[in-house]
Amino acid sequence: MDDLTEMLKGTLEGCVLEIIDREETYGYAITRRLNELGFADVVEGTVYTILLRLERNRLVQVAKRPSGVGPPRKFYALNDAGREELARFWAKWQYVSTRINSLKEGGR
Amino acid sequence: MNFWERITGNDISREWKAFDTRAAALPADHRAAWEQIKGHLHPHADLTGRNLTPILDAALGLLEETAAAGESAQEVLGDDVQGFCTGLLGGAGARTYRDRWREQLNRNVARKLSRLGG
Repeated sequence: MDDLTEMLKGTLEGCVLEIIDREETYGYAITRRLNELGFADVVEGTVYTILLRLERNRLVQVAKRPSGVGPPRKFYALNDAGREELARFWAKWQYVSTRINSLKEGGR
Repeated sequence: MNFWERITGNDISREWKAFDTRAAALPADHRAAWEQIKGHLHPHADLTGRNLTPILDAALGLLEETAAAGESAQEVLGDDVQGFCTGLLGGAGARTYRDRWREQLNRNVARKLSRLGG
């Protein structure tokens, strides 16, 4: 599906938090995971700026590990603040999605 | 950073020169992306550009990592380099030199007006 960028803007950070919560991972792998999910427009630069923001807001732990090629990669894992933020994200998502769905179903 | 470097900005030109050396080692499309990124970030520099150094370092790091992994610049940045740069700067509210001029102008006008008793 094309042109999802605007709609994804507020939710992509939550998606990245969820992916990191599953296992410690790095930018490229996160981008590919999102692409597999069907968000084809998401590029590594987008994920990278989200990761920078998570780092600035102290929601993740960062570790540099050597990689097969090129400079060492930064690996990200959630800390306690990150897990709290992730729980808040899912609560907000639940709120928004149930209301939008009920609008679509024509309920009140 | 010592006093001499602070006054002359020597340390900055040295660091920026080091960036250029690193960028020169990138493949052509990454190098083009680097030039674009510099262009987008430049209006957000403070007087010396010292505030941009860590941001440029981060952007260059990403380009180096992805070039080594064999990704194209298009795969890494998509077509929204401006958006990428805004994200690097920490959001849509990043201040540019124009914002600072505007604030300064507003302050000066307000001061003069209050002196006139307006």
